[in-house]
Amino acid sequence: MPVSPVNSRKQQNLWLSVGPQPKKSISFTNTVKGGQTKGYLGANQSRMAMSKTLMVLPEIKTEKMNIPTVRTPIQVINALGVDVTPRPLYQQDPHMGTAKPNKLFTSQEGSYGSEYISSYSLYQNTINPSMLGQFTRSVLGSSTVSKSSVSTTDSIAEDLEEPSYRREKLTSFTDLRVMRATPEKIVTKEDLQKTIEIILTETETLRFFNLPTVMVSVESEEAAKVIRRNRTYETLCRNRLGNDLYVERMMQTINGAPKNKEVQCDKIVKEDKGIMSSTWDLYDSYNAMELSSLPTKQSMLESNTKASIVSKDHEPRVPGSTIEKNSEASSLMDIENVILTKIHDDEEDRSESIMKSDKFRQDLFFMERVLMENLFQPKLAAYRQLPVLKEPEPEEPEDFLEGEKLEQETEEEVKKEEEEEIEIRTEQSTIPANLERLWSFSCDLTKGLNVSSLAWNKTNPWPERIYQSPYGVTAVDFSIGAPNLLAVGYHNGNIAIYNVQSNSNVPVLDSSESPQKHLGPVWQLQWIEQDRGTTGDDKREILVSISADGRISKWVIRKGLDCHDLMRLRRTTTSNSKRGGEKEKKGEALISRQAPGMCFAFHPKDTNIYLAGTEEGHIHKCSCSYNEQYLDTYRGHKGPVYKIAWNPFCHDVFLSCSADWGVIIWQQESTTPFLSFYPTTYVVYDVAWSPKSSYIFAAANESRVEIWDLHVSTLDPLIVNVANPGIKFTTVLFAKQTDCLLVGDSDGQVAVYELRNMPTTLDSGRGDIINTLLGPKPNR
Amino acid sequence: MLGLGLPQRPPLVEETLKRIQSHKGVIGTMVVNAEGIPIRTTLDNSTTVQYAGLLHQLTMKARSTVRDIDPQNDLTFLRIRSKKHEIMVAPDKEYLLIVIQNPCE
Repeated sequence: MPVSPVNSRKQQNLWLSVGPQPKKSISFTNTVKGGQTKGYLGANQSRMAMSKTLMVLPEIKTEKMNIPTVRTPIQVINALGVDVTPRPLYQQDPHMGTAKPNKLFTSQEGSYGSEYISSYSLYQNTINPSMLGQFTRSVLGSSTVSKSSVSTTDSIAEDLEEPSYRREKLTSFTDLRVMRATPEKIVTKEDLQKTIEIILTETETLRFFNLPTVMVSVESEEAAKVIRRNRTYETLCRNRLGNDLYVERMMQTINGAPKNKEVQCDKIVKEDKGIMSSTWDLYDSYNAMELSSLPTKQSMLESNTKASIVSKDHEPRVPGSTIEKNSEASSLMDIENVILTKIHDDEEDRSESIMKSDKFRQDLFFMERVLMENLFQPKLAAYRQLPVLKEPEPEEPEDFLEGEKLEQETEEEVKKEEEEEIEIRTEQSTIPANLERLWSFSCDLTKGLNVSSLAWNKTNPWPERIYQSPYGVTAVDFSIGAPNLLAVGYHNGNIAIYNVQSNSNVPVLDSSESPQKHLGPVWQLQWIEQDRGTTGDDKREILVSISADGRISKWVIRKGLDCHDLMRLRRTTTSNSKRGGEKEKKGEALISRQAPGMCFAFHPKDTNIYLAGTEEGHIHKCSCSYNEQYLDTYRGHKGPVYKIAWNPFCHDVFLSCSADWGVIIWQQESTTPFLSFYPTTYVVYDVAWSPKSSYIFAAANESRVEIWDLHVSTLDPLIVNVANPGIKFTTVLFAKQTDCLLVGDSDGQVAVYELRNMPTTLDSGRGDIINTLLGPKPNR
Repeated sequence: MLGLGLPQRPPLVEETLKRIQSHKGVIGTMVVNAEGIPIRTTLDNSTTVQYAGLLHQLTMKARSTVRDIDPQNDLTFLRIRSKKHEIMVAPDKEYLLIVIQNPCE
């Protein structure tokens, strides 16, 4: 047969059953080494089946190299002695083909190839493209060459072309077809242990068939021919479907048995790590990451310095120390590692630093307050008018506002008339108190501060703030609008304004340089809110002071304290005679025309009107609009008027007290006293109306504090609290929110008294005190 | 910072500590550092160490609770009231200030 083209060889119809042929059943034992030969065997079998005269020696153990030597030409002789040795139809042309040594053809493949070739060459059929594909696949499937994925057909092709191929098997059909099993070599243990590298690579694309399309122009000469051919082909395809000429056949490939190989890799070491992440942990880590993304790393360090003093010491830990890490926090700011080893140097340093740290100081401060609160809890509760429980519960939230200047107080029950423990609160330049008078103690606990800032630093028995000043303080007042400003009046006439938020002794403003400062002691200071409709600001606050030099001044804070006289108090004579013009001084040899003013009180509703009390005993009603004239003068006291107070509910009534032992209630319209009280023979230093009731007021005289309730009696005070001997009560102040009374004495102490079992206040008719007391208004 | 290395504590701190200890009802005052080692204490060592260890854990838990609810918040003060005493703890990252008081009622 002529040499068929390469392609034809590929289609080996080994499995085409061309005629009945006895298939020799050849049993192959499983001792064949290498499953890959199975497929091959299958192919071989069929081949052998076709060959009829094949004598297969299933020699398993054959060295392929021995094949040429072992092989002896077989001769088949039939019964008649005729040599019917089949002869190969195909003689390979040794000169044909190119030398293409294929190293894949070592040992086994080559042997495979040869067998294939010799039989393939015999059986060639027409190329059927459709079968080709199948065949190739099946061959490939069956061969399952383990060593290479190169198709055997390819190898076959190459083999044919190899003249260098030393085997002569091709020439002889009767060549011994042996099972070219993998030559068995004795596998030593070392070989087993040897790591065999198996490299799997992908082969390049094999092109089995490439029929490029040929495009023919429609206008060319061959166009008609091509079109006709195409059409005939199309009809052929269409006819193919049900045509008997074309048979479709399925083939089953014999797939080689898969081989399982188990491989075990090195043991993978796993580690479990657990973290309990909490919300704040995530927040901290997130923040820490953000911080670390800042260009300056130091900022993070700084933010961590305080916190990481402990963690910094982790690094220089000597081996041998055990660091126990909690499994919880994993954040960068985790400081809560408990370290078991002790390193003394670090500790000592750190403990010192702890003691010095500001935070520690602050914590001590708080702790102390908490302690005191515990101690005084029942009393505080009483102050706050909360029910005092047997098991006290924490009551008020603690405002650790240090900007508040508050007194420290204790509670007391007036009924029991005990005097409780006292705290010292000084604003005087000389601390405790050997001052005669505690004028300055009208620090309005409740006035000027809004409720939230009533910070309860009550538990400190030492002053919250101490402002040293060179002169005796005679008047203080907190500002209403800016509760951190405290105006202080001195004995020398100066006025200073302090900011209580700071501890510094230096006042914010001082009037010592003002040309118009007071020349005498400032007896009273008050911040007034005045409507300033004209200037556009509504409710500006001004500071009004009255001093012994007879001037009532209004201070405005502009660039400094700016003074403006509201009134000059002039001496008046007692109007025994009806002289017109009360302000004329006549007939008296006076040293100065000015009358020292002791106190003043602005009308609660109309801040233009105010009352001023003088040393003479007169009370003048003045207006801010006039600074020359009094509107009215109330005469009744014989001695200096120390305090004037308007009734908070009934705006016609005011109260005054003076050194003539008397307390007088006045009505605004009448210049003569309405009610007067002379309970004792002591100077009454201070009076105050109760904010709760229009009938109750308190008076402090030298020996005792009296609470009067006009509703009950106008002759006797309701409650009398006697002072310790030697102590004079000098000031009295009601607490706005609660039923408490603050009393200051000449010992420098402020006591807080609680008013208990007071008669219930009448809600109605508060303003009607006069009518209630004395019936309809006397017309005067 | 560590300063000059002189073991000087600011007088205000000392004074305050003494004052706290002398308050009515105060049983003991302790300052322990973050490792549980007492820096200053008025109780005996074993009691101090016990308190420090237990309160440290409790403080951590309390802080964790507070911060879980709102991570921007932080624990500033802890008070435990029992039948006999009240324990007040001012925690910080580096130390614990513990005062045990018997509030007389």
